[in-house]
Amino acid sequence: MNVREWALITFTILAQMSVGSFIVLGVVHYFVGKKSGEKQADELSDRALLAIGPVLALGMAASLLHLGNPLNAYKAVTNLGTSWLSREIFFGVLFAVAGAVFAVMQWKKIATFQIRNLVAILAAVIGVALVYSMAMVYMMPTRPGWNLVTTPLAFFTTTLLLGVLAMGAAFVANYWYVQSKNPGCASEQCVLLRDSLRWFAVASIVLLGFQFVLLPLWVALMAGPATASAAMLVGEFGGVFALRLAFVFLGAGVLGIFLFRAASSPGQEKVMGTVAYLAFALVLVGEVLGRFLFYATATHFGLQ
Amino acid sequence: MSDQDILTQTLNATPMTRRSFLKWSAAIGGTVALASGGLDVGLKSAQAAPAAEAAPAKTGKWVTAACWHNCGGHRCLNKAYVVDGVVVRQKTDDTHPDSPDFPQNRGCSRGRSQRHQTFGVDRIKYPMKRKNWEPGGGKKELRGKDEWVRISWDEALTLVANEIIRIQGKYGPGSIVSMGSEMNRTLTLFGGYTDVWGSTSWGTWLDSGPILGLGDGLTITSHNDRLDMRNSQLIVIWGENPAWSTQGNAMYFFQAAKKAGAKFIFVDPLYNDSASILADEWIPIRPATDHAMLLGMAHTLLVEDDPKTNPLIDWDFLNRCTVGFDKDHMPQGVDPKENFKDYVMGVTDGVPKTAEWASEICGIDPQRIRQLAREIGMNTRAALLTGWSVARVNNADAWPQMFMTLGCMTGHIGKPGHSTGVSCWEKAANGGPNLVDAGGTGLPSAGTNPVKSRLNNNELWDAIIKGKYTAGYKDVKDINIQMIYHGGTGSALNQKVGMMKGIQAHRKVELVVSHSHFLTSNSKYADIVLPVTTQWERWGYIKGNREVLIWASQVTPPLYEAKDDIWIAAEIAKRLGVDPRKVDALPLAQQVMNQIKGAMVTKDDGKTREPLVTITPDDVKGLAEQGVKVEAQTGRITLTEFREVGQYQVARKPGDKLGFIAFEAFRQDPAKNPIKTATGKFEIYSKAHAEFVKSKGWTEIAPIPTYNKAIEGYEDTFSDWKKKIKGEFPLQLVTIHYRRRSHSIFDNIPQLREVYPQEFMINPADAAARGLQNGDIALIRSRHGKVIRPVFVTERLMPGTVMLGEGAWAELDDATGIDKAGATNILNGAIPTGQGHQGWNSCNVQVEKYNGTLEPDVKWTQRIPVKGA
Amino acid sequence: MAKQLAFHFDASACNGCKACQIACKDKNDLPLGINWRRVAQYGGGGWLPHPTRPDLVVANNIYAYSMSVACMHCENPACVQACPTNALTKRADGVVLINQDQCVGCRYCEWACPYGAPQFNEAKGVMTKCTFCEDLLAQGQNPACVDSCPARALAYGELSELRAKYGTENAIEPLPAANLTAPALVITPHRHAQASSKGTGHLLNGEEL
Repeated sequence: MNVREWALITFTILAQMSVGSFIVLGVVHYFVGKKSGEKQADELSDRALLAIGPVLALGMAASLLHLGNPLNAYKAVTNLGTSWLSREIFFGVLFAVAGAVFAVMQWKKIATFQIRNLVAILAAVIGVALVYSMAMVYMMPTRPGWNLVTTPLAFFTTTLLLGVLAMGAAFVANYWYVQSKNPGCASEQCVLLRDSLRWFAVASIVLLGFQFVLLPLWVALMAGPATASAAMLVGEFGGVFALRLAFVFLGAGVLGIFLFRAASSPGQEKVMGTVAYLAFALVLVGEVLGRFLFYATATHFGLQ
Repeated sequence: MSDQDILTQTLNATPMTRRSFLKWSAAIGGTVALASGGLDVGLKSAQAAPAAEAAPAKTGKWVTAACWHNCGGHRCLNKAYVVDGVVVRQKTDDTHPDSPDFPQNRGCSRGRSQRHQTFGVDRIKYPMKRKNWEPGGGKKELRGKDEWVRISWDEALTLVANEIIRIQGKYGPGSIVSMGSEMNRTLTLFGGYTDVWGSTSWGTWLDSGPILGLGDGLTITSHNDRLDMRNSQLIVIWGENPAWSTQGNAMYFFQAAKKAGAKFIFVDPLYNDSASILADEWIPIRPATDHAMLLGMAHTLLVEDDPKTNPLIDWDFLNRCTVGFDKDHMPQGVDPKENFKDYVMGVTDGVPKTAEWASEICGIDPQRIRQLAREIGMNTRAALLTGWSVARVNNADAWPQMFMTLGCMTGHIGKPGHSTGVSCWEKAANGGPNLVDAGGTGLPSAGTNPVKSRLNNNELWDAIIKGKYTAGYKDVKDINIQMIYHGGTGSALNQKVGMMKGIQAHRKVELVVSHSHFLTSNSKYADIVLPVTTQWERWGYIKGNREVLIWASQVTPPLYEAKDDIWIAAEIAKRLGVDPRKVDALPLAQQVMNQIKGAMVTKDDGKTREPLVTITPDDVKGLAEQGVKVEAQTGRITLTEFREVGQYQVARKPGDKLGFIAFEAFRQDPAKNPIKTATGKFEIYSKAHAEFVKSKGWTEIAPIPTYNKAIEGYEDTFSDWKKKIKGEFPLQLVTIHYRRRSHSIFDNIPQLREVYPQEFMINPADAAARGLQNGDIALIRSRHGKVIRPVFVTERLMPGTVMLGEGAWAELDDATGIDKAGATNILNGAIPTGQGHQGWNSCNVQVEKYNGTLEPDVKWTQRIPVKGA
Repeated sequence: MAKQLAFHFDASACNGCKACQIACKDKNDLPLGINWRRVAQYGGGGWLPHPTRPDLVVANNIYAYSMSVACMHCENPACVQACPTNALTKRADGVVLINQDQCVGCRYCEWACPYGAPQFNEAKGVMTKCTFCEDLLAQGQNPACVDSCPARALAYGELSELRAKYGTENAIEPLPAANLTAPALVITPHRHAQASSKGTGHLLNGEEL
């Protein structure tokens, strides 16, 4: 592992987290808006929306570190015809633009709710295209450990899992912020927060289950030329692999249950917040380790 | 990475003009005088220079460039593209269209790296003195690890001359041992020097071959030429890997024989790269046991031969052309019982040398031994070819005779398609006298060395350490060596057996001087290092092989302060009060032109010769302006053509009269065309041979080729041979010619280090028994030293045998006694036997896992004497 | 039919001397770590105990051969498809070239190529690859590697003509199967050649490849 590969880990994790957060936010905003009105929904989620931009920007900045000649980075969108890498960058930039447009519209309340919703949906679709392109970048016959259906599935799982837990953490932070500005004003927000976090907890447990199907599937699919990758994953990198499973299990599973419980009983906001932060942190570390393993166990088919 | 590494890498990676090259390199060299502590500011600032100075792409000129190394190769054409004084590219022979009959002389990866040698950043740039040296030695134990101090040429030459006077005065003229090159001329004229002797590459072939009737393999060949080889039905390659040891066209010639239908059988402990292309069959054999195998085959031939129903032995040839095979064909005055046949059949000693007997020693199934004997029977057109490696074994004095005897028994001598002998070096796959030859240089001799003491390679270091040497049979003399003069640019310390003792010897004497291109082992352990020019920096160079004569021209003026060896020798002579004109007696340009003028080429009739070069009156005038005297003459090609093309190659085609069948006339009428042995015939019984070996003073052999166990051969891997209990050193090491280098030359070239990592080869079974896997580091121990190397596990190597390439520049850690470069002479002991050849392929070792780390050689800091050595 | 330059490699002649690799390195001034042409060795087999003699072993089908490998200038070049900046292009004569001014140094082509042809220059931050010595071709000369081979194992020409002359083999171990990129390569197989992905041996190089 070198700087170049850590750059890729950082980029893919942050970009996927951004897409996931954006989608989760959209879903929450839709349901909360429906239940409690647009204002409450905005209060709950607008600040979190603004946090997505910097995360994505950080990820994209990190991606430059993996380039030998970053001055040419702007040319990297010129082969949309055949290069998934071009498409990845294209959708990355497009997602950033669409997301930013939506954020500004949402912040400044430009245009109607419906129009903003349309923009949000459009941005989300671009985000999905981004994650799909990201996965397709790795779908090459010369990289047998990657060229498996588990790659896009895992990328989307990561996207949603990190999106859910990142937004959980963001909502909590937002809540404390609102509380500190205007104590007592947030009782409605407090309910909404608990409701959201309950759903987040459920979602993370479901996604964890999905991931615990995906990971063994990945190992199982690594037959033929990918056997070497599987051997590394359970051999040389077996310790890291176990750690990766443990972190996600603790974060999304065990803490997910705690989060659900805390979010289900009013007055537990402090505990709930701490658990939400911790769950996000653990899952983030787990996903970073997972992405590290994705690169570290890669083998090349043919001559390298 | 140190500053120096960074600088070195940058230098290696940056294309430069001559000016910036010199400036940069000088910047490195300029720090020679610095004490430890790194590089000076001036050097660092110099790093910025080349970008600004990088020259725009200019057109340059192709120059025929010398490839002068003792590579064992075929003498290839090397050309350098010189732009603004710097060589930016190389190429090989494209002077005529390529065909199997008239092939281009294409060079190897080493020759094509020559520009990285001549222009290497690690060249020695100035005369240097070891910091703590002073007359008498000065902290002699620091040799190999002291710091270097730059000195002027005048100081260096005066210092060396004064020491020659002082040491000769105190200890006598024989106290200087001089190894090679032009300094021998100076010392011959000033009291003399102790010389060094002993066959190196040839093993026992050098002397034994000619005494017995076969050639040594280089100056005299006993195998047929390459076009005749296409007439062979079977070609047996015994202990040879021309793909590695004879690069150039040898393999191409063998390929042509294969295409023509020859079957190839390789007998070798390694399924080598030549075998991978040519071999129809591979017979793996334990190293240093070949003689036993041939005895087993001889026995089979004798038992199974029936002149009528199963003719295997060529009795007619044996009877007419050899002496000593059976009791009826013994030389006069010899007990008939001592004949070879009775020895093989066990009549003499009660031990029949059956295939079973042989198999216990050589490790080959008796059936396979018998089968090979049948295959090479007289009615097969067979070529029995061997390299010198099998003869580079302790006690192998009878091996050439054994090989010859098998060829005589099967009659594979003196007929088209049949031949027996050494096929290696520039005569590999192409026997016969040269069809084109250079004339003499005209350099007058400096006279006879007045000192008579001569040290054998095997005793050289011991003689310096212990003060005694073997001068002949029962004749041990005293000697007191106090000065070692390395006048050649090879690396004698690195390249002679028993290097551990060699280092000890270097730390014993009062002065070590070394002429050098690089900080070789010779120079590393020296007190005074003198930078010399490479052939690329000299006026010209003539070299060739059987069909080619190459005229290489000067590629670059001398770099830095490098001088020709002859200049150094003359300057020292001057300071000794010797007339320097007797040393530097003829300018190089004149010598080269004499060689060219005297070059002769065989005419199409295959008999008469004519001058190669036409020299016109205009040529004479032009050369006179350069101070070269030459007369006009008429020859085959013009002088200009020879210089521009860079070579003359004799065109060959099947059916021409330029072919060579060794011993053809002798075979037809031995009485009329005797060979140059005592009896005029092939001597299967040779008193002269036995006496020659005895006269050297170490071991004795019989007049017939009896089996002599090698010292540190297979049998010596056992502590109890009868019960087959292995001893402390259970594996046999073979030291191969490695493709990274030509002996020690080129070992320092980064791009060759990258391609050839100097890996230690071991069979999977032997590796597994020691817990070794590819990439592990192995500690290899012999009775004489220890080295570490990365392991390369390969089934291509016979179990019980391990291999390591010879010639790596030792990197010995004095504290641990471990050499990390894998210099094979750290492992090979100095074991004087027989005729005083060096026994590199008989060495017992043990191998274990080494738990330290070892960076790939290509990542090592280059030997640039900035601080310390 | 489109023009397609191609290499011919005679594995039955190559003894692995690496003159081609060094000739290429010299001609193109390649730094350490970059070798546009490389020589892979492949082999296998093993040793068996002797049926009756415990002190002997029997060599069992031990084989070895070399493959000189450079850019295959594929008909379906994965590198060109993967390159996000169009720095890699396939010329009308089939030669695949990289324009370093256009290269972003993402090394995606390195992942995509099954032959290890695109190689990264750390110092410059861009990819490098075999140019088929297009500068020499333009002067009517042969690629440096072709003219260097002492075994006369390398040739080049129009793919269809090489196929007519030497056959269509293009997938021998240790090369990957040809279906990935349709390499413009014609191999005269070694007598012990093993088909791609079906080999019983392994790489035999002591150095990193």
